[in-house]
Amino acid sequence: MRRAHAIPVHIALILSAFIVLVPFIWVIGAGFRSQISLLMGEIWFSPTLASFNDVLFSRASDFVLNFQNSLIVGLASTALCLAIATTAAWSLGRLHWPRSVVVLFLGWSLLFHMLPPVMLAGAWYSMVRAVHLENTHAAIILAHTTLNLPMALWLMGVFVREVPQELLDAANIDGASPWMTLWKIARPIFAPGLAATGIMIFIFSWNEFAVALVLAVKQTATVPVGIAKYAQGYEIQYTQMAASAALSIIPAVILLVLGQRAIVSGLTSGALK
Amino acid sequence: MALAYADRSFRWVTLSPAALFLVVLGVLPVLNLVAMSFFTIVWKNAAADWQPVGLANYAAIPGDPLFSAGLRNTVVFAVASVAIQMVLAFFLALWCSQVRTGRTLYRTVLILPLLVPGIVVGAIWKLFLNPEFGFLGQMLGVVGLDPIDWLGEAQTALLAVIMVDVWHWTPFCFLLLLAGIEGLPRDVYEAASIDGARPWQEMLWITLPMMLPTILVTAVFRFVVAFKVFDEVYLLTGGGPGTATQVISFTIYQRFFTEDRAGFGSAISVSVIFLVCLMLVAALAVRARLQERPA
Amino acid sequence: MQNYSIGRRSATAGLAMTALTAATRPGFAQAKLPTLSIVINNSPWFDGFKSVVDRYEKETGNKVELDVNPFGGSLEKQRSSVRSAKGQYDILIMNSSWFTEMYFGGFCEAITDVDPGFKLDPGIYTCDDTCFFDPASKTMTAQGKLFSMPINPNIPLLYYRGDLYKQRGLTVPKTFDQLLANAKALHKPPQIYGIAQRGARGVAAVSYDFYPYLFGFGGGLFRDQKAGDYTVLLGNDKGHAAMEYYMRLFREAGHPKAAAFDQAEVLQAVATGKAAHAIAVIAAWPQVDDPSKSAVVDKMELAPPPSLPGLPTSPALGHWLAGISKNVPDDHKRAAVAFFRWFQTADAQIFYTRAGGVPVHKAALEHPMGQERKFRWMKPMAEALPYAINPFRFPESPEVVAILELGINRVVAGETTAAVGIDTMTDQIVKLMTEKGYRTGRG
Repeated sequence: MRRAHAIPVHIALILSAFIVLVPFIWVIGAGFRSQISLLMGEIWFSPTLASFNDVLFSRASDFVLNFQNSLIVGLASTALCLAIATTAAWSLGRLHWPRSVVVLFLGWSLLFHMLPPVMLAGAWYSMVRAVHLENTHAAIILAHTTLNLPMALWLMGVFVREVPQELLDAANIDGASPWMTLWKIARPIFAPGLAATGIMIFIFSWNEFAVALVLAVKQTATVPVGIAKYAQGYEIQYTQMAASAALSIIPAVILLVLGQRAIVSGLTSGALK
Repeated sequence: MALAYADRSFRWVTLSPAALFLVVLGVLPVLNLVAMSFFTIVWKNAAADWQPVGLANYAAIPGDPLFSAGLRNTVVFAVASVAIQMVLAFFLALWCSQVRTGRTLYRTVLILPLLVPGIVVGAIWKLFLNPEFGFLGQMLGVVGLDPIDWLGEAQTALLAVIMVDVWHWTPFCFLLLLAGIEGLPRDVYEAASIDGARPWQEMLWITLPMMLPTILVTAVFRFVVAFKVFDEVYLLTGGGPGTATQVISFTIYQRFFTEDRAGFGSAISVSVIFLVCLMLVAALAVRARLQERPA
Repeated sequence: MQNYSIGRRSATAGLAMTALTAATRPGFAQAKLPTLSIVINNSPWFDGFKSVVDRYEKETGNKVELDVNPFGGSLEKQRSSVRSAKGQYDILIMNSSWFTEMYFGGFCEAITDVDPGFKLDPGIYTCDDTCFFDPASKTMTAQGKLFSMPINPNIPLLYYRGDLYKQRGLTVPKTFDQLLANAKALHKPPQIYGIAQRGARGVAAVSYDFYPYLFGFGGGLFRDQKAGDYTVLLGNDKGHAAMEYYMRLFREAGHPKAAAFDQAEVLQAVATGKAAHAIAVIAAWPQVDDPSKSAVVDKMELAPPPSLPGLPTSPALGHWLAGISKNVPDDHKRAAVAFFRWFQTADAQIFYTRAGGVPVHKAALEHPMGQERKFRWMKPMAEALPYAINPFRFPESPEVVAILELGINRVVAGETTAAVGIDTMTDQIVKLMTEKGYRTGRG
């Protein structure tokens, strides 16, 4: 690929990176301020750990618990969603379903994906109560799995198509069982796609707010729900919100640093056709 | 031919979990909405009293200022923000694929906003855009300009929300487009460079056409998510001032939850589902037309 | 950690009181009660409530669990809980904007039905009798059963800059004309604005801040809700005058961000010294004197909201009531009553006040600590409280509030004029009330 205009390109990229980073830096800074210093718009301020302290250790704050919940919900719903979506994508893509079944299935999941989740939250709450899951993580895990299923189906649908037909035919001749074919022969080929999809699902689950707000109780509240609490009617607790926002992006940043190669190469291998 | 890997029972076993999820947690709630939309539901003696009202809930929709404003703003929001994001993301991805040094660093930074919960994005930008103490207001003050109340003025509020969405979601498009660009075959470029093509010609005649499928898929996916926008608006503006940033998710939330009008809220939901269906059918029709056209 | 230093200081006083209470009230050590679960919204007075709950746990050995939510989230949690077969929360901390829904929906159990021996302490302020309800006649009067325990008698008061008043030799306004004059005298944008008013819409935002003006002008929403007369008065000349005045304050001495100003922004303007006046709820007071949150520590003063000459101050109640869920086990209901019995004592109320709460007991509101600088809000509060009006006495009020929120917000945002806005809202409310089967019309 052509490597032209190196310097202008760098300038453009640095500028973009700057636009991305400034709000982050400013917000992390806000976490170290006192509320009044922030509201008065003081440019120079003496840093204080009060907000971080409040978010992490005050008895009125459940942030550590929220963090734990977000991890549990994120990891569990990602695992569940990946398992279901991969087998379903495999089934629809490679197992010769009648075309009408494929169209109906993917059409519904696409339509479903377009529906604002607030629409569904009420019904989900009633269902969760009906089967007595209201105080468990399972409620949010199931909801997030469902919400992310269409995206996972779509991405995995692309990736399973990359598995060469000759391999499957060879496995067929060797008498491999269907599970063996999927797990031992096909999976290594779409593994990068699986990783990329998994990371995407995790991010979407980590960020989801509207449904978690309705389904969560104190013991199962996720980070976004916990953060929203700081925006109450009488005063927006900006510094606590900033401190918790800064803390909440840590796992995502770690994931990104460790996993971005997997995402990009995973998505590249699928080539998104 | 009997294919062992496509064994009939295996076919069912692999598909049914996803089907179960999509039916139980997808179809049932929608059917529930359809049912509720023909009733007014009030609570008496701790029990729901479903009073049938026929089509009255639907008849009330055209007169609902939050519905029409919500629909209009959502469409404007989704179209504008996705268009801006696609253009920005395309160039960022292109540039990022061209640089030799610092590529990983750029990539890491440019993906960063995607990892921030929408509710946090709302909080960050609410602070950041505050005309009195926000960073932008202060910077304008430094250069001697009056700070603009981006979120508080009816004229600029939707634009501000769009810009925040661009900040939040351009990384997503960037990520997918970057993956697409990096997956393009190299030999075409080599041939082009031998033919003496200029960079912009290369972009216009090689990269863009080859990227078209990825661009379309990304844009559709983004549009779908943009259509559901809720979290950012929840904290940034709450739909105001007036109805300037009222989006359809927020209308449903207000009517259904805040005001507790389950029947009317359901009717709005069902209407939105119907409109979404229409959009999908239209999109599929366009796609079919495009595919018919000889390449 | 300002909040906690307050808590700690009062904790010492609390310990002394604990010893006292334990000696005088042996009846508290009852049979083991289940963990009491309370759903509440986050607010500046939450720390006060939390302290009082902590003290209750320490004193009685009973356990309490608090589920803290954003304001709107709390209502959703409560609805979900009371509508299912088995409730999740024993005590619902209900705001004035939704308690009627819980009463009329049959979701609350009368306190005296759980424990017929329960007597409301005569010193407790009954919040326009809204803690009583008669399920048969659907009315809220002292003749009804005791359905809830007042938790915070929240009302709006006039916040003003005492230091600037002294400097300029201004007198505390009693009438709207005086308020406008004072606001204009102190209006020096962009350093300081004459008054910060709320213009944003929300669950109960701009409409709530408009009531002191509407009622203070002698206007009203309905003719006589207690008598079942729902004739809409909003559109009469008093309603128009109140709206015109509200807008005049905005134009002549207000903050330009009006239409996007929610309560948090109004109080920010107060805390940063950008507003010379505001009419805001007492529940928000704790932050004004907190040096980590305010640049006007010790500078703000409070007074009852102004009114027209000859009319009394007319704040609208934005109070909180604690109701017992019907769909929880009996022992949980008894645990709730045990908490109320303790909470309504003068001792607990005084402790609650010192910890940052707003008391519902006369003994606390009229306590000598009201002389202390820190508690200077208590006198105007006690003055205004007897005139406080509960705006709605029927369960469909959220739909009326929604009309008012959007309508007033549009006037403030300039999407329509005050006159047209008021008339449109009036017509919409009449239509709504007709549909709901109430006796109504334009008055």
